[in-house]
Amino acid sequence: MIKGDIFFDLSVRSVRLNFLRSLLASIGIVIGVVAISSMGMLGTNMQLSVKDQLSSNVNTIIITSDTVKVTSVSGTTTTQSGIDKSELNDIKSAAGQNEVVPIHRTSTQFTIGNTNGRGSIYGLDPNDVSKFLTVDQGTNLKGGNDALVGATIAQNFNIVPGSSIKIGQNCATVTRPVVRISGILVARGISSDNVNADNAIIVSDDWYTTHYGGKDLYDQVNVIVNDVDTINQIEAAIDRKVNRNSQVVRISDASSRLSSISSTLGTITTFIMAIGGISLVVAAVSIFNVMMMSVKERVQEIGILLSIGTEKGEVRRMFLYEALILGIIGAVVGGIMSFIIGYSVVNAMIGSTAYFFRPESLIYIPYGMIIGVVVCVVSGLYPAWAASNMDPIDALRSE
Amino acid sequence: MGTCQVQETVGADVMDDIPLIRLVDVTKTYHLESGDFTALDHVSLDIMENDFVAIMGPSGSGKSTMMNQLGILDVPTSGKLYIAGRDVAEMSNLERTHMRRDTIGYIFQKFYLIPLLTAYENVEYPLILKYKKRDTTGKAHILLDEVGIDREMAAHRPNQLSGGQQQRVAIARALVNDPKILLCDEPTGNLDRKTGFQIMDIICGLHSEGKTVILVTHDPKIAEYARRIIRLEDGRVAES
Repeated sequence: MIKGDIFFDLSVRSVRLNFLRSLLASIGIVIGVVAISSMGMLGTNMQLSVKDQLSSNVNTIIITSDTVKVTSVSGTTTTQSGIDKSELNDIKSAAGQNEVVPIHRTSTQFTIGNTNGRGSIYGLDPNDVSKFLTVDQGTNLKGGNDALVGATIAQNFNIVPGSSIKIGQNCATVTRPVVRISGILVARGISSDNVNADNAIIVSDDWYTTHYGGKDLYDQVNVIVNDVDTINQIEAAIDRKVNRNSQVVRISDASSRLSSISSTLGTITTFIMAIGGISLVVAAVSIFNVMMMSVKERVQEIGILLSIGTEKGEVRRMFLYEALILGIIGAVVGGIMSFIIGYSVVNAMIGSTAYFFRPESLIYIPYGMIIGVVVCVVSGLYPAWAASNMDPIDALRSE
Repeated sequence: MGTCQVQETVGADVMDDIPLIRLVDVTKTYHLESGDFTALDHVSLDIMENDFVAIMGPSGSGKSTMMNQLGILDVPTSGKLYIAGRDVAEMSNLERTHMRRDTIGYIFQKFYLIPLLTAYENVEYPLILKYKKRDTTGKAHILLDEVGIDREMAAHRPNQLSGGQQQRVAIARALVNDPKILLCDEPTGNLDRKTGFQIMDIICGLHSEGKTVILVTHDPKIAEYARRIIRLEDGRVAES
């Protein structure tokens, strides 16, 4: 279509004739394309790497109680909140083959040697520990008074396996229970299964209920899903089963938190791309300027074209082709440079190019190129319109 | 030199009485800051098919305005202008553009070739405008041969050609869509005398082939080629 079009040939020759000027205008587009593409790629690579760090335990469904139970035992009314045995059984049956981990939790003060500290205390079935926690030093819970500590506490208090911890408020009148550290856990960082083990003491569920009560009433139940793609189905199954009459438990998973982090990062990406986009606005002004110069320089030629029977639309087309050529030159060079510069920027700022060649990262190169070409053509609209609407007599007369 | 051997064509014998170009009370007024300026003042004129008309007059007499009207580059302020039976004022912009392309061939004093195109492409250009594709009939080459531009010269850009060569190319361009009317605005004005007469001989030959030629000049020697001379003075026809 374009090939063999005399107006395209005219545009190519005009660009070639004013090579330096056209080149300088295109450089503006190159910079714009590079800015948009590499900023986009940087943002995406950031998102992908954060996502991968977080998604190691994204396969966990977190179930917490959504109701307060009021029980009346011999005249005394007590309120309790938690997931009871029948609800747990419902969850287990809905979860199928997947691991179900009921968890007791509270926060407590503790004393190690003479130093007081504060942290969470989790009560777990010792068999469940290895399902999502890793013991770094020592062994898992064995005896009744065994406990595991998280990496942060272990580090802050210089704990080694065999140390003992007094659990509870440091009060002279009360004798506090003592646990023996059987093992220290591997640091978890920010965990998305709502078990922040780094600053916690893990005890067996029997020990926990003996001291805190709440037997068969759990604060949280985690379901560890074998296939992360089925997480939504399982959540729905649990919801149908447990919440069949009324909203009894709240079901959530890390993927929703992950998606909110992703969307925040997405906003940051858009923002830095918009900053890159400013350079394209500058480029648009320079393209506009070059196109106006081209029109002004060729007034007489436009006069000739119009007087011997060239349609206005054809004159417009000629100048739009010129803008298109500038845009394509800028976009192609910009695309190649985006690849090189984007790679360097990602490598420098994220420290890894593991995600650079992913389609969702590389897609920013064609995006940037398309935006560059569109900006160019849009900048050429007015000059092209001005050229086609000249009076042929005035145009011919101009020197 | 100076006279044109006119062969009356068959077409001229059977030509009907409807003129190819008819001006009825044509007035063209320009609105300037210093007041209105009437460049053409109630001009009525008929130009028949295969006529050869020279328009003469001092500068400011309205020659250029007249040419712009005849070339449909402009429309009259009042009065009627008919070309090939059509009222120019009632035509759309696009129709006027198409009439300039198909019915009128322009030969200018300054040649006005398209600088970015080669001589051949300049001649091919109106064909592309008309048929919306590159020419494959070889018509442009035939016409260039007829006006004495060889293949080697045809590959050159206008700025590589002499004035006479450029005007030959311009004539070939004017003819390529086989227009009825040839509008020649001082076609020899930028040429030396000898080349000027060569160009006039070509134009004369075209008239004898049936073209209607309208020639603006202030050179009486050149005007002698015409069958009919119209003198303009202050926007009016002084002598016809």
